[in-house]
Amino acid sequence: MTKHQNNHSQFNPQVQIIHVTYDNIITESDHTFFNWKEGTLIFDAHPFFEILREFEKNTSSGKKALNFPCIHLEDGKTEKICDITFTLEKEEIIIILFDYTGKYKDLNQIAQQKNESILLAKELELKNKYLLEKEEFKNSFIANINHEIRTPLTSILGFVEVLEKTKLTFEQEELARIIKRESLHLNALIDDMIDLSKIESGTLKIVEERFAFHNLIDGFRESYAKVAEEKQITFETNIDPGIQEYLIGDRTRIYQILNNILINAFKFTEEGKVIFSITKNYQRTNKLSLTFKIEDTGIGIMEENIPYLFERFTRFDLDKRISGTGLGLAIVKNLVDLLNGEIKVTSEPEKGTTFNIKLPFKFEIIKTSPARKKKKYKLPKSATKYRILVVEDEEITQYLIMKVLISQGNFFVDIAINGEEAINYIERRKYDLILMDLTVSKIDGYQATHMIRNNYGDKFISEVPIIGFSGKSNGTARDKCIRSGMNDFIAKPFEQEELIYKITKQIAKKAAN
Amino acid sequence: MKLSKKVVLLGHFGVGKTSLFRRFMDNEFSEEYKVTLGVQIKKKLIQLPDGRELSMIIWDTEGHSISIEDTRKSYLLGSHAFIYVFDLTREETYATLTKDLEYLKENYIKVPARVLGNKLDLVNEKEIRRQLTEKNIPFDDLTSAKTNKNVESFFLDLAEEITR
Repeated sequence: MTKHQNNHSQFNPQVQIIHVTYDNIITESDHTFFNWKEGTLIFDAHPFFEILREFEKNTSSGKKALNFPCIHLEDGKTEKICDITFTLEKEEIIIILFDYTGKYKDLNQIAQQKNESILLAKELELKNKYLLEKEEFKNSFIANINHEIRTPLTSILGFVEVLEKTKLTFEQEELARIIKRESLHLNALIDDMIDLSKIESGTLKIVEERFAFHNLIDGFRESYAKVAEEKQITFETNIDPGIQEYLIGDRTRIYQILNNILINAFKFTEEGKVIFSITKNYQRTNKLSLTFKIEDTGIGIMEENIPYLFERFTRFDLDKRISGTGLGLAIVKNLVDLLNGEIKVTSEPEKGTTFNIKLPFKFEIIKTSPARKKKKYKLPKSATKYRILVVEDEEITQYLIMKVLISQGNFFVDIAINGEEAINYIERRKYDLILMDLTVSKIDGYQATHMIRNNYGDKFISEVPIIGFSGKSNGTARDKCIRSGMNDFIAKPFEQEELIYKITKQIAKKAAN
Repeated sequence: MKLSKKVVLLGHFGVGKTSLFRRFMDNEFSEEYKVTLGVQIKKKLIQLPDGRELSMIIWDTEGHSISIEDTRKSYLLGSHAFIYVFDLTREETYATLTKDLEYLKENYIKVPARVLGNKLDLVNEKEIRRQLTEKNIPFDDLTSAKTNKNVESFFLDLAEEITR
């Protein structure tokens, strides 16, 4: 055993010793694992040895040694991971290869695990960032498209209403009805998209409010009785009479869930009936659980399709005459989950479908008076017409509002196309109310309101009622309007009646003060 | 005498040094990450534009975790160029770049160091160039070992540079 072998015996390495001249020719080798022939160039053995080009003949009397740990060497089928030592003697270089393949492979596994876990964490972080960016883009895209679509839609719906009040032939009436129906459908689709986007981004808020439960159900009974009559099918309702008159829950979302299921039931039932039943599961203290069952004798769903029923853009019927976005049931499922409810479906092709929806509610134990009805307002008597300033940059909406207001016979209307022009107008003329689009140019609706409320000593200017309006129909826009000093908010597309009601209310309230 | 030059690939672990090495040497790429322990060395013959032949010996070293000073000094001995590789998707792999380049400049004064941003296929090139410029990160080229973008041209340019 050589001296070098003794030094490294603690790791039990195998050793190969090679003698090389300063001309890099192998003069001696024990061929322990690499069969590098004497008389050949060491550079041809492996490119690692090209490092020897750097060493000139050792002219000093002492030995010089250099160590290279963990070098991968391969020659044909032999692969080794070695620590390599060069000893520069006077006439030759002695190369010693210490084979630590086993030790290094063990270390390799540890390093692999450590590095992999760090890289995986980074990969997940990147994926998460990518998904968040995608989500953000989607939400802002939907919000923008909502605004872009709602503005022309407001005009279409408004003008159809104006058109319906004119003298029309039967055919024209029918065409106007179709335009209105399709526009309302488009509006509903936008609502669905917004809802789904809010649900997916976790921004949809569930509210708990006291509402007239039986009133809500009566509404369904009334509306769908008409649909049933038109389709010549039967509509039955079985409501547990023990259910409280007023319940606490999210009325809007409950309406949305039930309406979506009822729409589908009627859409896919050409003969037979639709049965809508509500039963009480249990009632404890102020808590209540109800099951809503909607059965139809319609076309049914194939068993293999049921698991995909609540996925977005899923439609199994190929009948193009039946309209639908494929979003309705996805929204229903998400809403039921948000309300901590359950939804189950059973179906048989050509026999019909049954939806069972279990939802929790609360109710007030103390008897209270029924919810307030919408208060009626009247325009105060006035010798002159009321003057309204409409701040709106889109011509078609300007025209629509003018038509609606002027047709009432009580209003003069001025139009300002941006916030700056609106300020000029109010400084020159007294207004009874301002209808303020929130996104007008130069000075936006919020800024203009701020200026009106704060920059004028004249109370007739600083206290003028302002109603904001926008295509952004969410609660945030409304809150922002109120916070910025406006009196009310109206979302586009608005109903004429709602617009008149809100204007009347603000003018009447101002007069009362 | 035959021209022979040693080029060392340096940089943090997982930045794609071995992928660049394999892509240039054997025109191969694998999605699988395999840690490099120590160093693996290969030789490639390159035909230079002036007709000479260069034997480029590339040392693919084990990636460091903190700074280049962790790299074994014997691996850097007798080098003719360093290629410092960083990962365009991991900021921490170029956080110490300026300091590492200074270290190389101080200790290996005559050896040129080139900087490569790798994994270009995973990022938007325009955006990443803007970000690197904004953060004052020096780089000579951006590459993708996966798609082979700029790999061959980078090594060939380097071959010319170190044989001038």
